[in-house]
This record gives sequence, structure tokens and C-alpha cells, in this order.
Amino acid sequence: MPPIVCSAQASYKKLPGLLELTDSHLQWTKAGEKAPAVKVPTTEAASLSRSKAGAPQVRLKIGLLSDEAGHNFTFTSPQAVALAERDKFEAELTNIIARNRSGAPQIPAPTKPLQAATPTPTTPAHGSGVGTPMRPPPALSRPSTSRAVSVASDSRASGTPVGSDPTSDFRLRKKVLLSTPELAQLHRELVMAGHITENEFWEGREHLLLAQAAAETQKRGKPGQLVDPRPQSVDGEIKIVITPQLVHDIFEEFPIVARAYNDNVPGKLSEAEFWSRYFQSKLFNAHRASIRSSAAQHVVKDDPIFDKYLEKDDDELEPRKLREERVDTFIDLGATYVDHEETGNEKDVTMQAGKQRAVLPLIRKFNEHSTRLLDTALGGPAAKRRRTDSGESEHYAQIDLEDLHDNQSSSGIVLNMQDRQRYFDGRANGTSNGDDGAGRVDFQEALQQSKASTQGWSANLTQLKIERKAGDAALVSMTQNVASRLDVRLRKHEIPEGLFRQMTTCQTAANEFLRQFWLTIYPPANESQTLSVATPAQKAAKAAKMIGYLSKTHEKVEALVGVAHQEGIDPARVQVAMKPILDAVNKALDFWRLKNSKAPGAR
Amino acid sequence: MDKPSHLSVILDLSPTQWALCAQSANPTGITLQTFLSQLLAFLNAHIACKDENTLAVFGAFPGQSGMLYSSTGEITSARTESTDANTYRPFRTLDSTLMTLIAERLESYDSTTEEAPIGLVGCLTKALCYINRAITTSSSSVTEIEGAVASVDPRILVLSVSPDQSSTYIPIMNSIFSAQKLKVTIDVCKIFGAENVFLQQAAHLTGGAYVQVERTDALLQYMMMSFLPPPAIRQLISVPTQDRVDFRAACFCHKRIVEIGFVCSVCLSIFCQPVPVCSTCRTKFPIKTLQRLRDARPLAAAAPPTKPLAPKNGTATPARPG
Repeated sequence: MPPIVCSAQASYKKLPGLLELTDSHLQWTKAGEKAPAVKVPTTEAASLSRSKAGAPQVRLKIGLLSDEAGHNFTFTSPQAVALAERDKFEAELTNIIARNRSGAPQIPAPTKPLQAATPTPTTPAHGSGVGTPMRPPPALSRPSTSRAVSVASDSRASGTPVGSDPTSDFRLRKKVLLSTPELAQLHRELVMAGHITENEFWEGREHLLLAQAAAETQKRGKPGQLVDPRPQSVDGEIKIVITPQLVHDIFEEFPIVARAYNDNVPGKLSEAEFWSRYFQSKLFNAHRASIRSSAAQHVVKDDPIFDKYLEKDDDELEPRKLREERVDTFIDLGATYVDHEETGNEKDVTMQAGKQRAVLPLIRKFNEHSTRLLDTALGGPAAKRRRTDSGESEHYAQIDLEDLHDNQSSSGIVLNMQDRQRYFDGRANGTSNGDDGAGRVDFQEALQQSKASTQGWSANLTQLKIERKAGDAALVSMTQNVASRLDVRLRKHEIPEGLFRQMTTCQTAANEFLRQFWLTIYPPANESQTLSVATPAQKAAKAAKMIGYLSKTHEKVEALVGVAHQEGIDPARVQVAMKPILDAVNKALDFWRLKNSKAPGAR
Repeated sequence: MDKPSHLSVILDLSPTQWALCAQSANPTGITLQTFLSQLLAFLNAHIACKDENTLAVFGAFPGQSGMLYSSTGEITSARTESTDANTYRPFRTLDSTLMTLIAERLESYDSTTEEAPIGLVGCLTKALCYINRAITTSSSSVTEIEGAVASVDPRILVLSVSPDQSSTYIPIMNSIFSAQKLKVTIDVCKIFGAENVFLQQAAHLTGGAYVQVERTDALLQYMMMSFLPPPAIRQLISVPTQDRVDFRAACFCHKRIVEIGFVCSVCLSIFCQPVPVCSTCRTKFPIKTLQRLRDARPLAAAAPPTKPLAPKNGTATPARPG
């Protein structure tokens, strides 16, 4: 029996058992059984996440290298003990994971994880019924995954996902592939078939991964809606699902409930009892976001504990929580009667929110909620607005409006052009282009000819005649030109679906090979290191491999033409369609040949 | 066709090129004489289409350029032509002014043996200035809602027989941008000579038609069909144009036409090889970038400057890199 580092009572997949951590393994045994149902070597541990502090259930989720979903454990001991146990496990596992990270070099085998990836990774199938008060893990994993970032990975913050973090790398790649089906298809064909390795495929596509990583790290802000859990009626029973997130929101929205919770739990009431009684109390009813009574569904009982926290309804003339408004001295002084001719500038007593008195508390609740939202977004209530009232400058700054500033056009940086003559004239060898078309003509001779042409023009004009045939031919050719251009726009191609798909795959595959080939030839686009810092020998080998694939492109196109012929499509059309990619391939092949023919002499 | 249209014609009158064109047999050439008569018929047709149509003709001669005719009457010829009762008077004025001025210009050449490159660019810029003036004066007199919109539909037609001059790349591009701003369409009719890369780009960027004439004996047919309709009705009457456009540019250092080049990030000037200092805006580039760019030219790697081009002579031992 290997030495046990720590152990705890924990349930896995809703079954109670014992979770143990040894030097080499993490295992979980179902209660009453001998052999562990889950046994995972510690070298496999890749990521860690846990439920929120203060959440009713104490959970720990361990992600593995091979299986991202990993295993979820819920610590079943009484709360305090469970928390301590979980922390201990967490500390140990974090060390192990850090060790794994630095020890294990690079990417896992591309085939296996991809197959595991086809079902979406974030929903391990812990199908729990609606009846339980706890929501299934997927909802939990959302807020805890973001925290998993800080727990598990250290180099995430640098923003370059490539190469620093294998599991997040892999996850990003999968996400990108899922979102662009064409890329997924290309990936399937090339990487699955083994032509290109995973790294090579992603080289040059780092920006896609970066974009995905950036999109993920963005957190959603607080929702604008008031927190209003609605009970759902299921089979005649009334159920509310309570998530830690919901609990957190309720505490934030209604501090009274937080106070009640702190006072009563775990002393007088257990958590479950607290919540069930809360939702049946008048306190909760007062916190609803709608004044329509749903009394039919919801029985409001008197509750000795919760009724203590009831407050008077907020429906006086002034709201209970007055807004703290800082009065701008300038504006106050500046307001005159003339500014508001229609209404005058007295306080408006007719401006009362809501004709019904019962609506007032609700409206004020909305206002408070919105204020709170804005404050969290803008950084603290009145933190920005409050300034030390010192000195003249602050007052002046208030009336110094941006719009009143004079429009100053900047003079800009003067363009110093060197050698203007050369820039504008430079006749160099420009004329060599059109030279010697059909033999040199003497300028003077030509000049004489031209002069002669201008004489007697009116006679020539009267004798102007166009040959009928020539005119018709010209007309026909021009009409054809217009017609073909119009045709191209209107007509769709009748190439059958299968053949068309083959043509597209051939083209995209050839493009990818070309891209890899030229990547080896040209130096990297930016100065930072790319994924595979290949030595020249490696690059040469890769280039040769790509050339091999590219040479086969011609045969592929021939095959496509043959297929077209069989299906009755004009093969010339297929050839015309594939011509651009063939040109590119030929260019690459020529370049390679040229390079190789010169190279042997050098070394 | 409610808006009157303005047509500025730029004639490429390079004597050597016209002589070549006249002699040429393979693409059947056209003599300057026939060309001029067909041109006159076309110009008459344009001013006959609509009474308010205006016309301006510019001539590009070797080393000089000038306006040859303008319907606003700026150009008049010294010699008064004899009035001919059988000819419509505006036609007569147009034709005679044009021809006499061409003759005068050609006379002005003394006995030089070398032909200077034609002033095509000068004509282009003069035409644009003329159009700009015409538009602003007409819009200032018009008090309708259109106001800023030009009440004339301007276009430029270039009849070219000469090949590209790479030194004119920069001025032509500048003219193209001004034409885009003024909403002027540039049409090009290529009668003889190699394909003109810059004019192709001009037609493409301004939305005009580039037509290469195959049957030069039916030149008038081409001109009538492609260049007579003003831009406004070109949506209804499709004019033929060449779709394939050569988008190459000329480098600023040698004025050579390049396909792959290096661009300064400050002033966007194009170079054919990496330079340490940009010649137009005098920005210095970092050494590391230069090295990286130099390495990035595999074509140069294939024929490095240090090695002599040995294969031609078939020497067995190539020289070591210096």
C-alpha cells in the first residue's frame, strides 16, 4: 500500500466514497468496495478547479492530460472539515501539476485527444434531475474554470498560448476548429492523414489561437436584470435551483439576506433549511421583481426568523436611500429662469415616479440596482466624481469645455524630399520597353509623314468610309466581350457537387502545402520565435517533403479532369478552374529546382 | 442623358509610333490620315449628341503637350477657315481648329534626330485641371439642390499608340487619384503598341473602359460603340472593356516595373530592393529589419551578387563566395 498523502470522504458521480492521494496516484473508492473505481496516476493531472468559497457544496475538479473533462469530486464531510480537506488536496495537486508542467515537454498525441473531443468537453454527463436543489457540474465549471486559470496555469497571462501550456493550447485549437468548419476539414485531411504534423499546421495560424484565447478571457459583466429567482412548478411541487452564483448574487443584491444568513447559518438553521424557508417567507416576497402577486403558486408564510429582517416598504415620497449627488457649484449658479421658460426652474413636485404607491419600492429597487451596476463598471461610487475641492483651477476646469477649444491644425512633419528631380523625372531605361518593336524609325521621316497627314484633311473626311465587314467584325467582337462578362455574372456552374468538392479539397490541400513550403524558405514574419524553431536541416527536409507533395498535384488535377470527362462535364472548364493553383505549384517547383541546381556548387 | 457630358480627348501624336503603326502588317495598322478622319467623325458625333455637350482636345507631342480645341472657345486658330455652306458650322469650326493646330505644333519641331517621350502625363493633368475648372464654374452658377454635385458628367478618353513609360508611373498614379476625387472616368483606346499597364490601371480604378482595337480599319465603330455613351447611361448600354488588369507598379529607385517590392511604411514609396534610408521621406530603417528582408528574398539567394554567373560558361569549379 503506497503511502497516503491525504484522504477525505468524497462523493463521485453522486456516490459516496473515499478519495485518497498517494505518492503516485489519485484514487477514489466507492464506499463499501475494495478496489478503487477511479485511479489516476498523478503524472496525468493537468488542471484543477474548485467551487466557490461559501458555496454550499465543496467540490474539486481535476482535469487530466488525456481527458479534459477529468473527474469531479464533492467532499461530503461537514463543511469546515470538507473545506480543510479540499484545501489540502488542492495544495498537493497544485504542486504535482506544476511538476508535470515543467517536466513534461510538449503536446500530447494529436489523434487521441481529438477523438475524445467530439463530444463537447464542458459537459461531463452527470445527469442530475431537476428535483435536486443543486445544479449539475456544468454550471459550476463555468465560474470555476475561469478561476482554474489562476490556479493551474502560470504562463497564461503572457497571452501567447502557443507552446506554453499544453492543455489550454489544445483546448484553444479545438475551439478554433469547431468554429470554422473549413479549417476543421483541412485539418482532418492533412493532419489526420499524417501529411503535416499538428505543430506545422498551427504555425502561422497563431493569430487564430490568440484571438480565441482573448475572447475566452473576457468575462461577462453583471447582468442588468434584477436578481429574481422564480420558482418553477414541477409535478405540483415548487422547485428553485440554487447555484453558488445565484447565492452570491442574492447576497449582493439584498444585503439583508446576507446578514440573515450570517446570523443564522449554521447556528440555527442549516443551509437547505435556510433557503427553503427564505423562499417561503415574506422577506422573499418583498424582494420580488414584480408586483403581480403569484400567491396562487407561492404560499407566503409567516416566519419567525425571517420576519425580523423585514423592512418597511420603500414607498414614501423620497426614496429611503437617497442618491448622493454632488452639486456642481457652477451649474447651480448658472441656472436661471430664462433657461427653462416652459417649466421654470423650481423643483417639480409633479415629478413623481409611479402613480401607484405599490410600484414605488420596485422602481427604487431598480434604480439602486442600476446604480450599483454602473458603480462597479465605472470603478466605485463617487470615486471618480469626488475631487478635492482645492483651488481655483478645479473650478476653472469645470467650465473649460472641450468643444470651445480653438481648432488648431497641426503642421505635421514636413516631407523632405531628396533629389526631387530624380523622383519626378527619372527617365532611366523606361523607353527600353517599347523600343524596337518592328524596327527603328527615323524621327524626321516620321515627322514629315505626320505633317503630310494633316494636309488635306477635309477631303479625307468627306471620303471617310468604313468597310462593312470590318465594322461587323468589330461589332461582333465587342458584343462578345460584353456578353461573356455578363454571362459570367449570371450563370452558375453546373459542376456536380461531388466533383466540385474534390476540386476544392485539392486546391486547399495544395495551398496548405505551398504555405508550409514557403514558410521554410522565407524567414519568419515577425521577430518573435514561432512554434518550431527548426534548424536549417530540418527546414530543408520539410521543404523537400512539401515539394514531394506538390509534385503530385499535377496528377491529382489530371485525375479530376478524367472524372469530369466521365461525368460529362467539359474537362476544359475544370482545367481552367485549377489553373491558378497549378501556376503557383509550378512556380514553387521551379524555384526549388533552381535553388537546388545552384546549391551543390556552393558547399 | 439629362446631364450634359464633357469629353476630354487626349491624342497620342508621336510621329515615330504612328509611322510604325502605319507600316505594321501583323496587327493591321492604320495611317495617321485615316485615323484623323475617323477621329473627326467621332468628335462631331459627340457634340451632335446633345447641344450642351462640351469637348476639349489635348495633344501629346514629343516633349510637349497642349490643348488643341475647346468648346468654350479658348483656343482659336489664327487662320480663318473658309465658310462652307454644306457643312454644319460647329463641326467645321471644330475640325478646322483641331487640324490647323496639330499642323502648327508639328511644324514647331526643328531638326532633332531623337524623339523625346510624349507628354501624355502633361495632357492628363491639363485635362483634369480643365475639368476641375469647368465643374466649379458651372456649379457656382447653378443654384439648384445639386449644388456641390457636378452638373456635367466629365470623362477623359485617351487614344494611345505608344508603350508605357515607367518614369511616368508616379504622375499617372497621382492623376488617377485626382480623377477619382473629381469622379472623372478615364477611358483608354489602345490602337497600336504593347499593352499599357498604367493606362489599364487608370481605366480600372476610375471605372472606365480599356479597349484594345483589333480591326483598326473599323476604328470608328469601336469608338462609337465604346466611348460615345456617357458614364451615366453605361449601366444600360454596357461598354466592352478588358477585365484582365496588370496591377504591377514601378519602383521609385530605378523606375522599373516590379511585381514584388518593398514599401516604406511612412510614405508608401515602393522599392525593388531593401534600402537603409527611404529616398522620399528620409526615414531610417533598422538594421535588423534590413537583414531580415534581405534574407527574405529567395530570388536573390538563387543568384547571389557575390557569385559570378558561372553556369553560362560551363566552368567546372564555381568561385567561392567572397
